[in-house]
Amino acid sequence: MNFFHKAASSLDVPEIIDWKKSGKKIVGYTCSYLPPELFYAAGVLPVRLRGVETDGLDIGDAYYGPFVCSYPKRILQLAGKGRYNFLDGAVITPGCDAMRRLDECWRKAGDDHPGILPGFFHFFDAPHKDEAHGFAWFVEEIRSLMEKIREYFGVEITEERLLEAIQLYNRGRRLLSDLEALRCNPAPPVSGADAFAAVLAGSVTPRDLYTRALEKWIAQLDSEKTDYRNRKRLMLVGSVNDDIELVRLMENDSGALVVAENLCFGVRAAGGLVAETGDPVEALARRYLGESICPRMFGKYSERLARLKETIQQHRVDGVVMQNIRFCDLHGAENALFERDLEKIGVPCLRIEREYGPLVETGRIKMRIGAFIERIQTR
Amino acid sequence: MRPEMREYNYDWMMGSTLKAASNLANGFPKEAALALNYIPYARGASKALMDEGDPGIQLFKLLSNYYENILLAHSRGKKLVATSFCFSPVIFFAMDIVPVCMEMMTGLGNILWKRGMSDYLDFAFEAGLPETSCSSQRGSMGAYLAGLGETIDFVLNNMAGACDTNANAFAFLSAYLNKPFYQMNSPNTIGDPRSEAYHLADYSAMIRFLEEQTGEKLDYDRLAEILAEVEIQDELITDVEEFHMLKPTPLTPLDNLILYVGRFMFSGRVEYTNVLKALYQKALPKARAGISGLRSGEEKLRVLMIYIDHYTFDFNFWKWFEENGVAHIGSQLSHHFRDTVPYAADLPGSVYSVDTSSPAAMLNTVAQMNARGPMVRSIRGPYDGPFMWLEETLTLARHFSADCAVFNGTPGCRNTWSNNKLMARDLEKAGIPTLILNDDAFDDRVENWDATRERMEEFFTIRGLL
Repeated sequence: MNFFHKAASSLDVPEIIDWKKSGKKIVGYTCSYLPPELFYAAGVLPVRLRGVETDGLDIGDAYYGPFVCSYPKRILQLAGKGRYNFLDGAVITPGCDAMRRLDECWRKAGDDHPGILPGFFHFFDAPHKDEAHGFAWFVEEIRSLMEKIREYFGVEITEERLLEAIQLYNRGRRLLSDLEALRCNPAPPVSGADAFAAVLAGSVTPRDLYTRALEKWIAQLDSEKTDYRNRKRLMLVGSVNDDIELVRLMENDSGALVVAENLCFGVRAAGGLVAETGDPVEALARRYLGESICPRMFGKYSERLARLKETIQQHRVDGVVMQNIRFCDLHGAENALFERDLEKIGVPCLRIEREYGPLVETGRIKMRIGAFIERIQTR
Repeated sequence: MRPEMREYNYDWMMGSTLKAASNLANGFPKEAALALNYIPYARGASKALMDEGDPGIQLFKLLSNYYENILLAHSRGKKLVATSFCFSPVIFFAMDIVPVCMEMMTGLGNILWKRGMSDYLDFAFEAGLPETSCSSQRGSMGAYLAGLGETIDFVLNNMAGACDTNANAFAFLSAYLNKPFYQMNSPNTIGDPRSEAYHLADYSAMIRFLEEQTGEKLDYDRLAEILAEVEIQDELITDVEEFHMLKPTPLTPLDNLILYVGRFMFSGRVEYTNVLKALYQKALPKARAGISGLRSGEEKLRVLMIYIDHYTFDFNFWKWFEENGVAHIGSQLSHHFRDTVPYAADLPGSVYSVDTSSPAAMLNTVAQMNARGPMVRSIRGPYDGPFMWLEETLTLARHFSADCAVFNGTPGCRNTWSNNKLMARDLEKAGIPTLILNDDAFDDRVENWDATRERMEEFFTIRGLL
């Protein structure tokens, strides 16, 4: 478990440090719509960019305006402080307006803070739709990125290597499905914080090491020896969250257990399998663009609601906590729709607006979650 | 929402106000002046437009027609589509669909009503649109979410990739009202063959959506007629833009608004051509004589609005320009990107051409035109990318002889608030003093107009501009 928690809580991940020491390349990326398999196939470690361990926002605030989500600001803050100097490259994706502007903000900050801009800096233009022309555009974006990787890193991503990467990532996905099945049990063998850490770690550690660690850990989980019986079962959804402490806050001394998430860093993004037959690039495109898991895919609300209802049922969820980072309009609006439609069918919901980053609002959030659990208990 | 607000249909209220106001100018001047005493709230805005002469009066009639079309759409057997100001309405007119442009309606409500759109803004928040989301849609959208407008039949938006907040608001509207929705999407670049092909494919799919919603095939003969009208309008706009480049400009500050409101509401319709003709005729003598369009007759400063205007009560924003002898030389909304405008050669990727030689050519024309509306054109890609915000602003500043630049927007604009500081820095480096305003163009409660005015005056004074 330490492997996962260490990787999920800090930027100083031992496995990343070892990778770098061995002379191999590392590329950071911002969004779950980028297939990290591409980099893995090129022998480059893909690391999902995060804003953990920031202690200020002077650099983030210098380039971004005040009415912008704190997530990209904190990534920029870390980059500006040199914490991402271990990266050989970065890929920015238009997850939302604020995230896509990390492209310019990072580049301009690079003019003022020499050395913080990685040599390989790419904009991966993922469309907001998956109709035929959107799909074709996305496939072209993948192929173009592969070409850029070849040019910059001097590595050819062959079909065989890409298929190997897909198979490796799929192994991890199957294991995560096993983990999710265990969390559906009336007596889950794992806390929400541990499960979330296990998923998060997959976005920053070498995939082969991660898959082995995940396999070993899941094999040890035992529903017979669980401490997590008879707790109120919560689901956490909404804006990007990579902070295990938020999950801990929901679980500690509250009588609640987080049994499911629908988050960008969670199983939502890590879940579905990539087809292992046919053209691997198209298979990746189908998986990464086609699942419409994020509100950035406008007009797919009913699909996401259906997916949410299914998870709520499978995981026997008693209540859904919906959080959005301040200025995150996409999740903020969708949370309101979810709340309307889930409350209608008797699923209690709590909407919380918060800041990304160190939990500066612990007391407020804890009080609201406490009140929410009281509400569920009186049902 | 205040209970009394729920007693009135929003479209009916706006339509009735505008219909009455548009008749003001039909009487003798004394009659109109007397009538103004009986409309204390709408007096300032009505007088401001009437003082503009024929273009202002024409705009009043245009606005009145716009609401009449909405109010009577269903009884005339037409469908109502909720859409954005960034979407060219020509395709709706070609398919006999009546557009309901959310941002225009929010702006109008703010200008005409003393309390602005606050009740509707707040209702949209109650319904679930975050209070931090863009107020330009949230205002009028609040009325439709509350069931206080005409029934929307379907929703169409083209802002994904350019302004996700805008796209998200329309996606929310469709989900909340359970109405069919088509979302168009802009790539990160403009003017290159790949993005143009994408726009065409996206637009073609959108046409299929419209055909499904209306049960009618697109009539290309009708589209050709509309595009012929667009040709006339583009020629007039090109002339007006050339006038605007003159120093002093013969146009008034409000002429900018008249130019773009008309285009967003009635592009391709003869009503808008009449507005443009009136604008042209009014400005021509002053252009010939080299006289400023400002009432004071003296142009002290030329200000380029690099984003949008401020839609506060009574046209107070534009009145400030008039009262201070400042020429408003356009915004991202008022400048036009037909290949005939004088600055087209400097921004080849940003402009569209019109080709009516075949159905395929027409389809491509409207697709590319639609991709060159405000925002979708120049804030889709990185602000410093080819033909994007910085290049466009520097080009316009050069052609229109801007003395300074002012950013005004809404706190809900994640996109521009994520790079307006970078823009300001680059513009200052290029020698263009630049002010970033913190107000909300559609909600005076964020910062009242007097405070915004003072910030502008402070900037112009400190920088030695006024």
